[in-house]
Amino acid sequence: MPEDGRRTRIMAAVTSKDAAAGAEELVRRLCRFAVDEMALSGCALVLMSGPESASVLAGAGRHARTVTGLQMELGEGPCLDAHAHGIPVLLPDLSAESANRWPTFAAAALAAGVHAEFSLPLTVGHGGIGTLDLCRDRTGMLSDEHMADALVTADIARDAVLYQQYATGGPGLPELLAATGSDRIVIHQATGMIAAQLDDTIANALARLRAAAFASGRPMYDLAQDVVERRVRFDD
Amino acid sequence: MTETGAGRPVEPGDCGPAGRGDDVTREAVLARAFVRLADTLASDFDVVDFLHGLSADSVEILRAAAAGVMLADGRGGMRLIASSDERMRLLELFELQGAQGPCLDAFSSGRSVQANAADSRARWPDFAPQARDAGFQLMCAVPLRVRTDVIGALNLFRGSDEPFTGAEMEIAQAMAEMAAIGLIQERAARERNLLTTQLQAALNSRVIIEQAKGMISEYLTMTVDDAFKVLRNYAHYHNRRLSEVASDVVDRRIPSAALARHGPHF
Repeated sequence: MPEDGRRTRIMAAVTSKDAAAGAEELVRRLCRFAVDEMALSGCALVLMSGPESASVLAGAGRHARTVTGLQMELGEGPCLDAHAHGIPVLLPDLSAESANRWPTFAAAALAAGVHAEFSLPLTVGHGGIGTLDLCRDRTGMLSDEHMADALVTADIARDAVLYQQYATGGPGLPELLAATGSDRIVIHQATGMIAAQLDDTIANALARLRAAAFASGRPMYDLAQDVVERRVRFDD
Repeated sequence: MTETGAGRPVEPGDCGPAGRGDDVTREAVLARAFVRLADTLASDFDVVDFLHGLSADSVEILRAAAAGVMLADGRGGMRLIASSDERMRLLELFELQGAQGPCLDAFSSGRSVQANAADSRARWPDFAPQARDAGFQLMCAVPLRVRTDVIGALNLFRGSDEPFTGAEMEIAQAMAEMAAIGLIQERAARERNLLTTQLQAALNSRVIIEQAKGMISEYLTMTVDDAFKVLRNYAHYHNRRLSEVASDVVDRRIPSAALARHGPHF
């Protein structure tokens, strides 16, 4: 699929130096990649389990922690909404009407020199684990190319965080992430089945599926088909 | 959404109820379809339900064997959002078109595409044999367009090699454009950020439906195809949106005993 080429290119950009990177280091490099590639003034990956418990896993750029810090402090802002609703919140101009939903945040961000903010949720279907926040010291929407890169960057970051717990002692995280095609229909179906078998969350089920596929040296898609056709179970 | 909606079992080669020489019925069906396509401002509007309706209506009106709608995923690819029936075989056929096929061509060129069995083999050497194996000879795709933005494509298959007539292609294009306009609010078409947001929400809905299908198939020990029917029956019975019910299933807010009462052969 065309987007796999994009994923491969971004993965190559963040793993070329050192293939043994853990999730935190990988995410830091993804943020750095985004800052350089999209001319941002800041990029941060924020993990959230609710509005009260958010933490910056990694960031890059001088505004890396500005936007997140303000939102935590004020209890309002686009990243909280992106996380809560699972859809991107894109604010190309924080002084415009569209930013009025977060009056205190918008004013504080502008005062700190941030003029545009794009918050992409790290979703696993329903519910997510946080956001990738991108900001700029000037107004303007991301180009289609940059938006596509940003969405794929967020996907990789999400996967890195999800799979991290299953990568220790086994395959390296970059290898685990390099397996593409995680958005095929049968994989989502298998994920639902595994979540039911293990009485676990969708996110954990997806991570288990990917780790099992990698450990057995098989494409994730093939293993997912075995699960859906009941040749493989995860609760045995 | 029609009663014969998303899960109606359509066999390849089936020409649908609106057969030839039944123009009055067809006109009436067409009129009803356009009314539904225009009805996107209701408070319970749901993208997936809406596009399931478009797929089912186009199968009926255009005498197709199967239809599906794919939307741009913002990452340079396309993804299936809804189809006239949910057999895995058909879903995979749509999915293949992320790489090659009429949908991708209609999306990237912004023009309607139609090919018979021989043409399609030459044009899409990887895709055409898979379509043939699934029982389809004729394939067609029309772009979903809002102003200059192409946001996806409506894909139609026939079991026979009989091409869609000029009039049928025009109807398909009109339905696709009507759906695109209904789907993407006027304001979203003007602001790229809203467009991206709406499309992402549609993609999320589809992912959740697939996860819910998997969960139901495990809880009730049935195929994922039957699990979809349970999901749809439950949503119809309770007059709720498909994606909303799917979210509740994934979050375990609907006990499996309650789901078991709804099918799949209900």
